[in-house]
Amino acid sequence: MGYTSSARQPVRDRVQDLIVSRTDAVTRILFEAFPTAEVRLFYALGYTAIAIFCWGVYLQIRKYRRGAALHLEGTLGSRFGSMAAQVFSQRTVARRDPKAGAAHRLIFYGFALLFLGTATITLQYDILAPLFGIRFWYGNFYLAFSLILDIAGVALIGGLLYMMYRREWLKLPKLDYARPDRSPGDPDFDRPQYRREDWAFLWTLVIIGCTGYLLEAARLVWLQARPDVWDTRWWSPVGALIAAALRAVGLGAHGGGVLRAGLWWFHGLLALVFIALIPYTKVKHIFTAAGSLMVKDPLAAQRLPLVPASQEAPGVAKITDFTWKQLLNLDACTKCGRCHEACPARAVGAPLSPRDVILSLREFANAALESSTLPDAAQLSVHGKAPGQVAMETLWSCRTCMACVEICPVAVEHVPIIVQMRRKLVEDGAMDPLLTKTLQTIHKTGNSFGESKRKRGGWTKTLPFKIKDARKEPVDVLWFVGDYASFDPRNQRVSQTFATLLYEAGVDFGILYDGESNAGNDVRRVGEEGLYEVLAGANIAALAGATFSTIVTTDPHSYNTIRNEYPDFGGKYQIQHYTSFVKQLFADGKLKVTSPLRVRATFHDPCHLGRFNKGYEPPRDLLKLLGCELVEMGRSRDNSFCCGAGGGRIWIPDPVGAEKPAQNRIREAAAIPGLEVYVVSCPKDLTMFEDALKTTGNEGKFVVKELIELIREAIPVRSAEAACV
Amino acid sequence: MKILVAVKQVAALDEDFTIRADGRDVDADFLIRDLNEWDDFSLEEAVKIKEASSEPVEVLAVCVAPDEADEALRKCLAKGADRAVRVWDDALEGSDPIAIARVLAAVARSEQPSLVFAGVQSSDQAFASTGIATAAFLEWPHAAVVTLLTYTPGAANAVFRRELEGGLLHEVEIQCPAVLTIQLGINTPRYASLRSIKQAAAKPIEVKSLGDLGLSGDDVGETGSHSRVRRMYVPDKGRAQLIEGDAAAKAKRLAEIIREFKGESA
Repeated sequence: MGYTSSARQPVRDRVQDLIVSRTDAVTRILFEAFPTAEVRLFYALGYTAIAIFCWGVYLQIRKYRRGAALHLEGTLGSRFGSMAAQVFSQRTVARRDPKAGAAHRLIFYGFALLFLGTATITLQYDILAPLFGIRFWYGNFYLAFSLILDIAGVALIGGLLYMMYRREWLKLPKLDYARPDRSPGDPDFDRPQYRREDWAFLWTLVIIGCTGYLLEAARLVWLQARPDVWDTRWWSPVGALIAAALRAVGLGAHGGGVLRAGLWWFHGLLALVFIALIPYTKVKHIFTAAGSLMVKDPLAAQRLPLVPASQEAPGVAKITDFTWKQLLNLDACTKCGRCHEACPARAVGAPLSPRDVILSLREFANAALESSTLPDAAQLSVHGKAPGQVAMETLWSCRTCMACVEICPVAVEHVPIIVQMRRKLVEDGAMDPLLTKTLQTIHKTGNSFGESKRKRGGWTKTLPFKIKDARKEPVDVLWFVGDYASFDPRNQRVSQTFATLLYEAGVDFGILYDGESNAGNDVRRVGEEGLYEVLAGANIAALAGATFSTIVTTDPHSYNTIRNEYPDFGGKYQIQHYTSFVKQLFADGKLKVTSPLRVRATFHDPCHLGRFNKGYEPPRDLLKLLGCELVEMGRSRDNSFCCGAGGGRIWIPDPVGAEKPAQNRIREAAAIPGLEVYVVSCPKDLTMFEDALKTTGNEGKFVVKELIELIREAIPVRSAEAACV
Repeated sequence: MKILVAVKQVAALDEDFTIRADGRDVDADFLIRDLNEWDDFSLEEAVKIKEASSEPVEVLAVCVAPDEADEALRKCLAKGADRAVRVWDDALEGSDPIAIARVLAAVARSEQPSLVFAGVQSSDQAFASTGIATAAFLEWPHAAVVTLLTYTPGAANAVFRRELEGGLLHEVEIQCPAVLTIQLGINTPRYASLRSIKQAAAKPIEVKSLGDLGLSGDDVGETGSHSRVRRMYVPDKGRAQLIEGDAAAKAKRLAEIIREFKGESA
């Protein structure tokens, strides 16, 4: 057992002597005036708390280890470094909510300093002093220590009080736990246990902090006669102020002593309970959030996981099919609601909140994987409508737009979790009949339009020049056209315009004609991994038969999968979205703006160009170059609001009557005064938003245009030939 | 207990197709092949019976076609068929549905299934006779256009429903073994994921010759058939024109057209 007053009597005497002889030997005597039995009791309770804590940590680690294996790329050192940078800057917590970020920073640093302070005392009293006789917690160090910890306490309590204010008075929708996928009355509807836990957490920490100050003040009043204590009291300014107040209301030295003894036990026991409960409550995010940040995959949504050859069935059917990392992700969630707020499906009332998917799975994992023996496989299925399970309607509502993954402050990776679960649904055929039909069509024809392969290059026939067939002759630039730009009549016009621009700029380019297949980006996000492998394989084989130096694509979806996912299948290419390629054509003087556009425009960041591949600037640079006045929407760049077409949702009908994400977005744009053009740079966006423009009654107020069309307008056609386009 | 499902790989026209040199079919280069839609439903019905059964049920998919039809059989294996049999001999070229039925009946005789399912018709040629002709060769009870089926493996009878004109439904009990042709909509065929199709590629497709079934070349092909396709063609498009002018001018023009049509004026 550690320190007891009787065992350490000689040390204490020496300290007392020092205090008398040297004022700089000031310190605080632990357990001062405590009977030995009470000190023993405290140590017993302390070790019990630590044992409960350790058992909880063991339970959590055992739970994660019950997940599937996963090999992480990168070194531990670099992972730790990036995690530490995020944790100490608290950058991810402050994003899109700077006030909450500031308050959390106060709590984080306050708590960290107070923890370090306690650890320092333990280090001296229980380790260094008894073993080596080393003591440092006195004198100037002690005084500075007191001051810093007093300030840390203020930071902690201040941050906590703001959080209480935020929960109680700001009534933030993102902190409302009501679920879009459950109805009122359902036992799981708004999870009141979470609200109770949130408040218990806040109050416990506030009370620990406040009783700490009261305790400090009571000790000062108690020991007011001792100059080493009383004369240095302003080194703990908050305690000193409270002590002054206590004396003013008539508390004397004896009363201070009694109060101190009572508070000491109250404060100490509460702190021990808090420590013991860390692994069992939301407090564990201290560890799980840091751990989750450490295993963050920067391409989590952009590059979906392969199905290992050894895996019998694809995707996630049981809770134990998730990797240990995903199970850790679930535990990192602090219910901050940022994903809930950002989700386009949730915004239009679809039965999906990324937060609730994570929380459901977490509850499932806690119930199933924390017991000493694993339940039967039949009881581990995460698919369904029981508490903790995720319904297929929820999974199919996801647009895989990555808004949730982008904003999660603790690196929860929702999109791969959802897609892995969809893989199981696809295997079971549990999906919308129209989606089934589309997947069969893509398998049969290589495109989602069900058109003949031969017609893929059909849109080039009306051009006054011939586009090279990259399979037959070498080209500098290989243009990967994609399904929508090849087959959708409205987008075919954009493709013809883009071809003309390249032709006029003197670019040596070609296409694959019927050698090209659907790139597979959305097929993969639907969860049809087998079909994706077929499509990726077909395109990689077609590209291998062509000679080119770089790929340019007008389709952000194709761009993403070719850039981030084809390398896993052996296809490594240099690829650009057209916006950065055309920007370079302007920079090189191959294209020149001859009639600047004087229009008021706003730009919609396509998910797969913006969030997925960080292509925020080139389209904006182009708009400025064209002379447009760019007015940003509230939700732009990394917070861009998905058109609703992603993740295969373009092939699944939206519920009749409900708002569609594209309509929600068009209404946002319509609020910009004097808006003339809503600019997109993705074929699916053009389709979705032209439709939404009509259905929201905004037709005639402003127009939806592809950036390519604006470029064309700013560069009037040079040759008479091209005019027939 | 066994269910035999007769399937066909049908052809759909691609854009800009051409007719074969002999004028009796479309040039194969312009055909997109797939499992016949009706057969998708009959296979699903068999697999559903198998999945609901407590006793072992074997679902056997049978196709009379050259090896290009293996793809359709793989799809059947991917969707839950236990075995796939393909019968082919060059002598089968030019067989009509009756000759094909003769082959299917021979397979059924050797396999002894309790039920034989066939689609009501094929989407490419639409003779709608293969299934019933198979029953005729087997001399088994049969029924066409089944829209609902209740059958417990091992039972002596199956009960099915058919839709009649005027909104009437027909509920019929039939003695097994029997041949049923299955109508679209009887169930929701499952999706065969690409992974399951790939896995099915590892399962064997049993290839049988006419000799294996005790048939000869004369039983099939054009000699064994009762009908023969003479030609396949795209009809001339009808023409329409708007005749303008006063009544007399219109009548004059109309008379000219009639004369042209009768071949009277050059």
